Amino acid sequence: MMWVFNSIFGKIFDIIFLPFRSMSPWVALIIVSFMTGLLMLFIFRFTSNQKEIKKVKNKIKTYLLELRLYKDSLSISLKAQWNILRCNLKYISYSAKPMLVMIIPIILILIQLNFWFGYESLAPGQKAIFKVKLKDNYNPLEIDLNVESSSGLTIETLPLRMEEENEINWRISAKEKGIHNINVILKGERVTKTVAVAQKPLSKISPIKIRRNFIDELLYPVEAPIKSDMPIKSLEITYPTRSMNLFGWHIHWLIVYFALSIIFGFGFKGILKIEV
Amino acid sequence: MNHINRREFLKLGLATSSFLASGNGPDLVTKVFGKTDTPKKVIILGLDGLDPRLIKIWMDQGKLPNFQHLQSQGSFRPLRSSIPAQSPVAWSNFITGTDPGGHAIFDFIHRDPERYMAIFSSSETSEARRTISVGNLVFPLSGGDVKNLRKGRAFWQILEDYDIPATVFKIPSNYPPVPTKQRTLSGMGTPDILGSYGILNYYTTEVKEVMEDIGGARIHEVYVIGNRVEAKLPGPTNTFKKDRPESSINFKVFIDPVNPVAKIAIQDNEFILKEGEWSEWKKVRFNMIPTQSVSGICMFYLRQVRPEFKLYISPMNIDPAEPALPISTPTNYAEELEKEFGPFYTQGLPADTSALDNDILDDGEFLAQDDIVLRERLEMFDYELARFESGLFFYYLSSTDQRQHMFWRLIDKEHPSYDPLLASKYGNTIENIYIESDKILAKAMEKADKNTILMVMSDHGFTPFRRSFNLNTWLKESGYLSLINEWKQGEEMLFLNTDWSRTKAYALGLNSLYINERGREAEGIISPGAEKENLIREIAHKLENFKDPKTGKRPVFRAYVAKDVYHGPYVEQAPEIIAGYNSGYRSSWGTPLGRIPKVLIEDNKQKWSGDHCISPEVAPGILFINQKIKADSPALYDLTPTILKIFGIDKPKEMIGKPIF
Repeated sequence: MMWVFNSIFGKIFDIIFLPFRSMSPWVALIIVSFMTGLLMLFIFRFTSNQKEIKKVKNKIKTYLLELRLYKDSLSISLKAQWNILRCNLKYISYSAKPMLVMIIPIILILIQLNFWFGYESLAPGQKAIFKVKLKDNYNPLEIDLNVESSSGLTIETLPLRMEEENEINWRISAKEKGIHNINVILKGERVTKTVAVAQKPLSKISPIKIRRNFIDELLYPVEAPIKSDMPIKSLEITYPTRSMNLFGWHIHWLIVYFALSIIFGFGFKGILKIEV
Repeated sequence: MNHINRREFLKLGLATSSFLASGNGPDLVTKVFGKTDTPKKVIILGLDGLDPRLIKIWMDQGKLPNFQHLQSQGSFRPLRSSIPAQSPVAWSNFITGTDPGGHAIFDFIHRDPERYMAIFSSSETSEARRTISVGNLVFPLSGGDVKNLRKGRAFWQILEDYDIPATVFKIPSNYPPVPTKQRTLSGMGTPDILGSYGILNYYTTEVKEVMEDIGGARIHEVYVIGNRVEAKLPGPTNTFKKDRPESSINFKVFIDPVNPVAKIAIQDNEFILKEGEWSEWKKVRFNMIPTQSVSGICMFYLRQVRPEFKLYISPMNIDPAEPALPISTPTNYAEELEKEFGPFYTQGLPADTSALDNDILDDGEFLAQDDIVLRERLEMFDYELARFESGLFFYYLSSTDQRQHMFWRLIDKEHPSYDPLLASKYGNTIENIYIESDKILAKAMEKADKNTILMVMSDHGFTPFRRSFNLNTWLKESGYLSLINEWKQGEEMLFLNTDWSRTKAYALGLNSLYINERGREAEGIISPGAEKENLIREIAHKLENFKDPKTGKRPVFRAYVAKDVYHGPYVEQAPEIIAGYNSGYRSSWGTPLGRIPKVLIEDNKQKWSGDHCISPEVAPGILFINQKIKADSPALYDLTPTILKIFGIDKPKEMIGKPIF
């Protein structure tokens, strides 16, 4: 069920980003931040009590004016400050409902965006680690597990088995452009992990494939989950992480995304006549 | 006897607070200075240590066709080196067109006469002058400073005055790079981020390998527990804290119980190495205080997984993407190269000779490491050569020097460290680097058009280093140096056992001999004037005529009196006598640090077996040029006015050299 939802939701982003795949990730991030800004505004508009928000904001302005006019009178100033505090609390309470409504779509959007903006595909010649994490009751030294890769990849090392971590690692090297596979073969069953090499500047990269489990599937929605009866918890590729380059400064995409979304939201609230 | 490694005397603490001195803004484009077209162009290949005798042998054998071709087009001459023929001195001669009297670099090591202490000759680092303390924290209110101590103007600074562009790649004796708009990247003399000439870290479970007293290396004893090793990687001193602790980064190594592979996890880096494999460059960050950190780059080499665990980590190089110390002009030139090629060795002399000398790396492993250096440098050579269009391009290679230092023992059957088995495997190492140099020359020749002057030069040649001469011991045996306790001779260094009230002269540095002069040295006893002059002549005469009882040869080919051979305003700062050793001899490793061993001359059994810190008459460099030259015996300082002349610039009056055509 979750996988069906992930597939549909993921497809929406695939379509949104399709025209921007070959462009700088900045273009897509600006577009998606703009859309998020508008989405947040509309959610706010329809889930908040606009009249009451306007009223309480006007009251705050009035009390601020009172504070300035009667700054020589201690009793009036104190009363005005108390009223500002009271109105602020009221304002926060009016904002709480739209915030709560917004949080769910925002989290779902963030999860998707992380796979578009959080990682870079491997470059040809670049090395990475392929990690197989086992369930707790399986010992990496005893399990009969093999890996094989498609022709665009090389598995460069023997397995490195870490008993305490319940993990087996291999070093892989990207050979040529494409979406390649690494197959893990266990008791005749085969689990496949995709590996992206030399993809377009904006590409959906899936670092982890996880077993069937609601929370994990929610957090790692790109690849179909591993069957829950297999002894594998997850398959992971250590892709390089990406940061947004702003005149030489490397910034995490999430910071850029939130900053732009807020700027767009505040920029358009007046035009759309929405009280925030 | 305690052996002193080469690095030990070079390892001088440069203060880490100078990290603050180099603010690096995120510039995007390296500015290109000067005219885009010049009537003449100059390409200079500075191949450190190429020797005229070896080059002639291999040219005659047809192994160096491009050198042969260049000779037929123009000229080939031995090139007179500096007095002494040490790299920092020699390259300073070339850079300034003067001798040490004009640029004030007399030796790798100078001395502080107030304390009779060795000090690094090329650069000086000072900490922030004003600081404010809050609890255990110290906040600098001003930047630290790193100063290049070489005097005189560099030739590319003079070219800049005339709008002639220059790219000067890794030239020695230019750290920190002197101010200029030209593209320059500092070379020999550039420290690692600890401020030393390069300190490696070696982690091993083998107890016999754990030795504390190794110059240029830190050996860490580690334990494999549950197929895991946990250790610390030391970093620079944290000058933001009052107690100045050493910064460090914890890291883990996961080992497979059977397979010879290991995973190293350090900060954001996680990578797997097979036994006998080098990692790529890894970037690490030493945190000082929450807002301040220092970035460095290093390479890992998994030497052995079992039965004993052995992991080598290269010296922590300055990260060219975020240089903590100034290594280029403009400051973003190093960043530009990093963007193009990824991280690269920024340390002045990156070949880890200390690791080979101390058996941390064997011959093959050392060569594999120096091959990485060579590969990086050649990629950058191709890049710079391809975009060279006007002005001057200078390119420097250190592998020629470093491989001759370390592998001479395998071409010299008389060397105490000669090993026929190793010679059969690595005996052609020196020949191969000459052949590699020939290939570099081929690329430069292809690039050179009819308006290009192509020059190949070295700062000095090479000779065997078979016998170590303890100059302070000779001074003592000749009655010029006295000890406080005779029975303690050889046990202490830094002249701690020296009776200055009865000492007339002392040696500090690789070739430098000083008179214990009254009014200059803290406890000087020799009066300036006639007494000093007579003493200088007497010592120089005796030193030149002394014979090695074992071989009958004179260890000192010439004892140069500074004021006779140097010119310029800094002659007064020079050592009084420069010991110009003979072929086969060199100063012992203890002499530069003021050690006075009991034995006067010893066999050199180290792998550092070829050398040039001797008389320039014994170890000349090379000069190939695609022009006919007039001078029969050109010197390094003649090349500088020659370069200026090519661009129509008159020689400044302080230059002592003469154009060679």
